[in-house]
Amino acid sequence: MRQGVPVWEAVGLIKRFAGVTAVDGISLRLYAGEIHGLIGANGSGKSTLIKMLCGVYQPDGGSILRQGSPIVLPNPSNARAAGVATVFQEFSLVPSLTVAENIYLGRLPRNRGQVDWKALREAAAKVLAEIDARIDVGAVVGKLSVAEQQIVEIAKALAAAASIIILDEPTTALGIGEIARLHDLLRRLRAQGRAILYISHRLDEVVDLVDCATILKDGSVASTAENSEVSVPFMVRTMVGDVGEHYPKERNATDEVLLRVSEVTTRNRVFDVSFEVCRGEVFGIGGVLGSGRTELARALFGVDPILAGTIEFKGASVRFSSAKQAIRAGIALVPENRKADGLFFNFAGFPNISSAALGRLGSHGLISPTREREAGRKLVRALEITPAAETKEVGYLSGGNQQKIVVARWLFADADLFILDEPTQGIDIGARVAVYRLINGLTASGKGVILISSDDEELLSMSDRVGVMSHGRMVGIHRPSELDATALVRASTGASLGTPA
Amino acid sequence: MSRIFSSPIAGALSAMILVAIIVAATTNRFLDQGNLSNLALQVSIVSIVAIGSTLVILTGGIDLSPGSAIALMTMVFATLAKTLGWPLFAAVIAVLVLGILLGLINGVLAAYLRIPSFITTLATLSAFRGVAFMFNNGSPIFSVSPNIEVLFYGTVAGIPLPLFYVVALYALAFWFLRYTALGRQIYAVGGNANAARLSGIDVRLTQLLAFAIAGLAAGVGAVLMTARLNSGSPNYGVGLELSAIAAAVIGGASLAGGRGHVINTVIGAMTIVIVQNALNLNAVPTSAQNVTIGAIIVLAVGIDMWRNEIGAALQNLFGTKPQT
Repeated sequence: MRQGVPVWEAVGLIKRFAGVTAVDGISLRLYAGEIHGLIGANGSGKSTLIKMLCGVYQPDGGSILRQGSPIVLPNPSNARAAGVATVFQEFSLVPSLTVAENIYLGRLPRNRGQVDWKALREAAAKVLAEIDARIDVGAVVGKLSVAEQQIVEIAKALAAAASIIILDEPTTALGIGEIARLHDLLRRLRAQGRAILYISHRLDEVVDLVDCATILKDGSVASTAENSEVSVPFMVRTMVGDVGEHYPKERNATDEVLLRVSEVTTRNRVFDVSFEVCRGEVFGIGGVLGSGRTELARALFGVDPILAGTIEFKGASVRFSSAKQAIRAGIALVPENRKADGLFFNFAGFPNISSAALGRLGSHGLISPTREREAGRKLVRALEITPAAETKEVGYLSGGNQQKIVVARWLFADADLFILDEPTQGIDIGARVAVYRLINGLTASGKGVILISSDDEELLSMSDRVGVMSHGRMVGIHRPSELDATALVRASTGASLGTPA
Repeated sequence: MSRIFSSPIAGALSAMILVAIIVAATTNRFLDQGNLSNLALQVSIVSIVAIGSTLVILTGGIDLSPGSAIALMTMVFATLAKTLGWPLFAAVIAVLVLGILLGLINGVLAAYLRIPSFITTLATLSAFRGVAFMFNNGSPIFSVSPNIEVLFYGTVAGIPLPLFYVVALYALAFWFLRYTALGRQIYAVGGNANAARLSGIDVRLTQLLAFAIAGLAAGVGAVLMTARLNSGSPNYGVGLELSAIAAAVIGGASLAGGRGHVINTVIGAMTIVIVQNALNLNAVPTSAQNVTIGAIIVLAVGIDMWRNEIGAALQNLFGTKPQT
């Protein structure tokens, strides 16, 4: 398969930003009818590389070849016309337009100067039928689910007769079933002879899907597609070196109940949920996207109002009506969406760390920069956050460092219960292990942890007990040893059959 | 060279000094003692009002109302001090309290009733001036009090009093933003309101208080305006809100919120006033002056936006290695 002339090829691409070499001579061959994985830790140059392939950045050195001849892609629309389709995490769809209009955006079929709506709908329906997608071409894109929007994005690529489809972290916002459907679709596209470049942090997915993988490290190719073994241990080793135990779980659970949730119902997708979290325990919550996991976290944190049921925290009955009250009581929430809900991108590391406990920086509404700096340095050292966090705005730090800063915020706020919603989403393997060590550190000091995760292996490995949610209900609480990934899926989807919608 | 472009305060300051040097070199009477004092007087009111504009901008909002609020407050001040014969001290306090109340009106509408601050303050821009016209049948009130002018024209050791107000209030604003929790919360709310809420910060209260402080700053502006002209008029302060916003923006404050330094705002205000003064001294007509101010706003914000590219271009030009 890997012979002849590649459809697309990168030869020794170089890209520098203000003196930092982000991509340092990366070469890559992409063949028709092949799914090519592109993996590497945060900051290894993946994003920069694909931005050069889709015309967003111009290389400072090296060249891009299409069918063996050099081509220059001065801007994204040029790259699209040349056959490069990119499905980014943030979609390039117009939410207020219909599916059909989005698929043919900029190239609407015309008849005597007017848009030929009938031809548009038929052409769009044909493209969607080609990939077996059951989406109404007249539906407004903004009302579709994330998974459906992604399919529209792929349909748009097909309609543009793309010779290569680049997918950048396409599964971050998808549930298990949706991921499987996406992968089926990609395999069909491969069978049609398209080249696919697939970028993901979820190595288990990558191994499951790709034919070969290029592994990047520090802006260079650490292992070429020809040499890479498509297996998780090989990839991890190549990306970060030897990380030791992948899931360094320590068991610190005690019998002392920290949080007791009894028959809690909220206005927002949580029904009759009961469970307990002990000090030193990691209570995992699994379930598909939209099963009510995140909503439960929001309710415990005082953001979503509770309609019925009781919550006992540290032995006292509580009902929070704002995050402020929950924080004061000692509850922390590391939100699912770090960028939208977690970080202050106008701040460097320390103000991000102190934001939830400004009262600890001084009395009478004053803050002492000295005290902030001392506390910040201590936490930066303890959590092995990059020292650059002291001076650089957090937008310049890697995803792993950003996530640790959000955790550091709650350590500084001296919380007793940590609710971690997808704490390792979008961070690389080395940073993941660091987050797991952090969880161990929390439980060792007697704090309770609620771990919400879509990564089943992580959930089963790091939790002491796992509660499975489905349609807003807690349908079962198990020891991880009683479950495996398939049982978890069955528990979260099987139970849904009996639940009225 | 790259340092100059990366340090926020140095950037605005060096731009202003550059402007001042060019003006001093090209304009005869610019450096006269009398002209410099005049400059200080001119810059004082707008720069004090601009403290408030900056705080609101830092929360991610905007305040279009201070010009109208000042017109209303000069009328209230004149009515209290002249028509009703209140002692000056009491009238000043009343105007400052009124300033806070006007700011709270903006804040309640914008933060608690969730009407975007641009719309809210566009409405009060109209309404406050309307109320100003309800006093004294819409006519100005002249000769408020013989004792009032000293507030504006008085000097200490030859230095005009308004300069002391500006220095004191900017020192206070700097301290407030850097050393108080509320100051930090203003930046946090402007940077990411969701993250602020989930950090336990009362987002709406923070926005409300920023508007209240902006109202207080407008109140100080109104007292100085009345003292300067010894009168109140419903026509005072037209366009003042735009100069105040321009000062903040030229100083580098981001209208998206969360970024900006209050000290840069006074530098921005001074840059505008220096250029205006130079144009006046060179007898350039007002119409051309307005165009020039517009050009300065675009240029100042542009330089801020293109700072990285300019820095990189300079590095390429001089072949220096970047320092990290």
